[in-house]
Amino acid sequence: MTSPAWARRRDAAGRAWREFAANRGGLVGLVVLAVFVLVAALGPVLIDDADLDVTRATGDRLRSPSGEFWLGTDENGRSVLALTLWGTQLSLVVGLAAALLSVVIGTTVGILAGHFGGWLSAVLLRFTDFFLIMPSLVLAIALSAVLDGGAGTIILAIGVVSWPASARLVRAQTLAVEARPYIERSRALGGGHGHVIFKHVLPSVLPLVFVNTTLAVGTAIVAESTLRFLGLGDTNEITWGGLLRSAGSSGAITYGAWWYLLPPGIAIVLLVLAFTLVGRALETVLNPKLRERR
Amino acid sequence: MVTSFPIVEERWYVVLVGRRLAGAGAVVALVAVMAPWVTGVAQAQDAKVLRAGVTQDLDSLNPFITVTRIGTELTRLNYEFLTTYDPKDYHPVPGLAEKWETSPDKLTWTFTIRSGAKWSDGQPITAQDPAFTFSKMMSDTAAATANGNFTQGWESVSAPDDRTLVIRTKQPRSTMLALDVPIVPKHVWEKVTDFKAEPPLPLVGSGPFIVQDYKASQFIKLKANKDYWRGAPKIDGLDFVYYKNVDAEVQALVKGDIDVMNRLVPAQYDTLKKDPNIKLNTGAGRRLNEILINPGATSADGRPIGDGNPALKDPQLRRAIALAIDSRTLVDKVWGGYAAQAAGYIPPGFSEFHLPERTRFDPAEANRMLDAAGYAKGADGVRADKQGKPLRLRLLGHAGTNLDEQASKYLTNWWRDIGIAVEPQMVSDQKVNDATTGAAFDLAFSGWNANPDPDYVLSLQTCGARPNADGKGATPDSFLCDPEYDRLYTEQLQETDRGKRVEIVKKMQQVLADRATLVILGYDNPLEAYRADRWAPFQTQPADGGVILNQQGYWGLYSATPGRTTDAAAPAAAGGSGGGNTGLIIGLVVAGVVVVGGVVLLVGRSRRRGAADERE
Amino acid sequence: MTDSLAPVEESIAEVPPPSRGGGVVRYLLAKVGGAVMSVLMVVVLGFFLFRVMPGDPVSIMTRGRPVSGAQLEALRAQHGFDKPLLVQFWNYLVGLVHGDFGQSYAFNAPAGVIIGERLGPTLLLTGTATVLAAALGLWLGAKTGWHRNGPLDRGSSGVALVFWSIPPWWLGVVLLMIAGGVFPTGGMQSPDSPAAFFPHALDVAHHMVLPVFTLVLALYGQYQLVMRASLLEEMNSDYLTTARAKGLRDDLVRRRHALPNALLPTATLVFLHLGMVVSGAITVEAVYSWPGLGQLTAEALASKDLPLLQGIFIVLVIAVVVMNLFADLLLRVLDPRVRAS
Repeated sequence: MTSPAWARRRDAAGRAWREFAANRGGLVGLVVLAVFVLVAALGPVLIDDADLDVTRATGDRLRSPSGEFWLGTDENGRSVLALTLWGTQLSLVVGLAAALLSVVIGTTVGILAGHFGGWLSAVLLRFTDFFLIMPSLVLAIALSAVLDGGAGTIILAIGVVSWPASARLVRAQTLAVEARPYIERSRALGGGHGHVIFKHVLPSVLPLVFVNTTLAVGTAIVAESTLRFLGLGDTNEITWGGLLRSAGSSGAITYGAWWYLLPPGIAIVLLVLAFTLVGRALETVLNPKLRERR
Repeated sequence: MVTSFPIVEERWYVVLVGRRLAGAGAVVALVAVMAPWVTGVAQAQDAKVLRAGVTQDLDSLNPFITVTRIGTELTRLNYEFLTTYDPKDYHPVPGLAEKWETSPDKLTWTFTIRSGAKWSDGQPITAQDPAFTFSKMMSDTAAATANGNFTQGWESVSAPDDRTLVIRTKQPRSTMLALDVPIVPKHVWEKVTDFKAEPPLPLVGSGPFIVQDYKASQFIKLKANKDYWRGAPKIDGLDFVYYKNVDAEVQALVKGDIDVMNRLVPAQYDTLKKDPNIKLNTGAGRRLNEILINPGATSADGRPIGDGNPALKDPQLRRAIALAIDSRTLVDKVWGGYAAQAAGYIPPGFSEFHLPERTRFDPAEANRMLDAAGYAKGADGVRADKQGKPLRLRLLGHAGTNLDEQASKYLTNWWRDIGIAVEPQMVSDQKVNDATTGAAFDLAFSGWNANPDPDYVLSLQTCGARPNADGKGATPDSFLCDPEYDRLYTEQLQETDRGKRVEIVKKMQQVLADRATLVILGYDNPLEAYRADRWAPFQTQPADGGVILNQQGYWGLYSATPGRTTDAAAPAAAGGSGGGNTGLIIGLVVAGVVVVGGVVLLVGRSRRRGAADERE
Repeated sequence: MTDSLAPVEESIAEVPPPSRGGGVVRYLLAKVGGAVMSVLMVVVLGFFLFRVMPGDPVSIMTRGRPVSGAQLEALRAQHGFDKPLLVQFWNYLVGLVHGDFGQSYAFNAPAGVIIGERLGPTLLLTGTATVLAAALGLWLGAKTGWHRNGPLDRGSSGVALVFWSIPPWWLGVVLLMIAGGVFPTGGMQSPDSPAAFFPHALDVAHHMVLPVFTLVLALYGQYQLVMRASLLEEMNSDYLTTARAKGLRDDLVRRRHALPNALLPTATLVFLHLGMVVSGAITVEAVYSWPGLGQLTAEALASKDLPLLQGIFIVLVIAVVVMNLFADLLLRVLDPRVRAS
């Protein structure tokens, strides 16, 4: 507990937190995130299964907001409020998982390419550049059409097409870290590749990776909703993108059913915004030079 | 560091950010102001052009190739067939052939081609034209692509003189007055060597409208054929305008950019009830929606294929599954009332062949049947099959299709009530297609658009419709292979007395219901709308409760008459639900202000804080 | 995906590595070589990826039509599906070498011709939107950067963040609902669009209002934020202090020194994105029935039109590759720092 290393880490964490807290945007982003996480976690408690079952829907088709249905009903007479709240869970989980997958692939490729040089690096870089120029939406659509299933497919499709940016970032950082003298010293003392990568490189790229993930979640959530809107994935799953697709195909636009079209969309915007604000604030903590730019 | 820049770059920047922005802004503003006025003028100029909205892409303008709905509609407008279907009740009526007779052995058909009719390039239409068309389809595989099935089982085609066409068939065929084959002009097509190629525009045709111009995914323009033998259409032209988004299409109708459209969904249809300028049209469904029950599918050579649950080989189980479906609830809840309750296999839109006996909904009876047949209920309420395994079935549906997604939830509940556990799987259309052709399903959603002649939809349930061992080479439906059904099918195909044929077809529908390899869910009504302030009522087909677009013929569009449709119903009466745009705008403004304001506040504050830090 | 719209601020730091001793030609050759290789890889991937997708093209082609087994077999043979996969691949490669993408079966025309037809509308839409978004973004970015923490900065940077977070297709749907009664809701021109140039252009421009507006809103925020950030970076540079110390007017310092330098990375970013915007516009084209490449992609996917899909894939990748090369060149020509090294 009181070892100097611990104290040092606690100090560093405290400093980082104070810097983060100095950024009001990041702080509020965090609060909004916390609310979404809470809704996602409590969804099953707050919402009765009967509210989601079309066969037990109590409302009329596309009814405007009222005391009974605060945000009106969908084309099956279900409460849009309940659906939107329920959709939080899957939208959040898929966004997080897809971003995580993408960053894990990107970090692995980036560190390998940065650490090992030579032909391996050349091949990995070529591969990264190749994925970077791919029309990613087309690729993701094709992938989710090939693979069966719901959320898992979507996560995989987004993760597989969106990793190259973080691979490049991590590679640059790896190169910078490895150029430092202490790595050379560690090598001279007999540290193998594994030692250098896990003891030195990984810890120093991790903060960057963390920030990158936070920013990537926003992109992944938009990507997820786009794929759902195009009708990919399991349409029985309730997500915001899927709700908007149903709204689009049931004539809600013509009907002027704003209570059906707006809530899921606004939820997407808020969540993406929250992740972006938090990401930007974290970036500031990591790179003080950025602070005045924000 | 560089301290100065050549003047070029400065100018580049100034131009880009300064003037271009101002210029672009001015152009946009100009466009926004001017354009409505310009298009308004354009519309006034050609009030006699009917504009129909269309969503489906055209595969080809070649009448031998096109298989899409829109392509078929275009060939009907562009080329007169030998015979066509009456606008009132679909019975065959003269087209290019003004009369016909059959030999006593029913193998030789002699059509008399009307005299005086002309192609749109002025050449006379003779019996040589259909003779050429049919012989090409029999000799050239490319020419048989779209309509080759019509000339199957034919012996020969000849034109002994310019007004007589003689067709000899190998067996008697009841479908000889339902030859949906566009007849092309011989003098144009005999020079063609590649029957797959696109024909040059404008087309040369014999129908009421001739295709003049086509831009993929934008529009198809047709001109009225002033020499049309029934008389020139009352309008000058007909445009099909593409909309990929049906809501955008509805808005275009409301705004007057198009005049008529179909394929509305119930919410859109209900919304348009409030618009006094729009007249709505609906009729009896011509599409059958069904659940396939895999009866232990076999391939064309009789070997088992696919992975259907073997328990479904028992007809009693299949009948119980059928009994547990409540079509009435589906009509009310899933189709919003715009559908007809399930009865016979042939949809009610073709009332002559439709078997009106409604399918029964009786879960108690289904339970009794299953109890009697020895399917014992387990502790979890799921019955066990004859091998003692719990009855768990997959239900395959099309992702993104409203019917499949919603009905699957009702069906699952109803089947749970009779002790069958069903898991719905919604996958892409392509996957459903692959699985149903290869029999890789237990239960699956399917559906067909029927024709005035029932032969094709009936043929789907014959042994001959089964695929080869790879699940390819045919278009199977329920994999029924039943001797009685097949015998009746051949009988109806050879029965040239219409009344007797109707009786056979009705009997076939009873057989289908009894075998229970498929269950009808219901028939959705076509929902159409047109501008009542610009057009007189259209001729629907059938006359009572029929459609305007997508007919089995050209009657609706041919009847287009500029004018007005007056409606006794008070336009405001239908109001009630629907928030309209006021609610939307209020919602948007509130949401926008909250979100933007919040972010602005946050970003601004943190920055102030940042600036303060800097000063320290 | 939406990477066309993601704020890739890192990329502004990424200056192309200076060539070691070779000079421009060698550097260019290496770049072009890499680009060609990428395109070759895409050719291979495109061929196999789309074939793995579910669905039998022939049965999709004939769905709901009375066709016999023999007809299906004939269709299959006609499109070459009866041959082994590697033979199909070889035939495809031979065709490509001769500039033949194959025959699209959804449109019964050479895939190359159809793609060519759709390229124009897409370039018109995305080009216009990019120019407007870049102009708006750069202008706002420069203004907000210069007057940092002013009321304009606080307001418009927040708004930019919000617009960046909105999925473009949702924005399109909402705009369609609000303004669909005023502007055309679909297509690029009316069927009776006047033939004369100016009225025709006006008709097209009228149809462009909603889709361009949607794309501009979706794109500009990122340009603004990046422009602002790079301007702030420039303003901290020593040379600006020097310039100020020389007694230059504030306005002159800004115009002559800070802005041009800050503009470089942002302009590069705009070009880097241009290639991606084409495929990113798929959803917006779908909402507004715009007859472009994006919508063609959606149609080709739905009908599993393999020659068309492969062709589009290659064209989209070439667009990105060419724009990347162009951005590299632009940076080299305009930025003496890169040129000098």
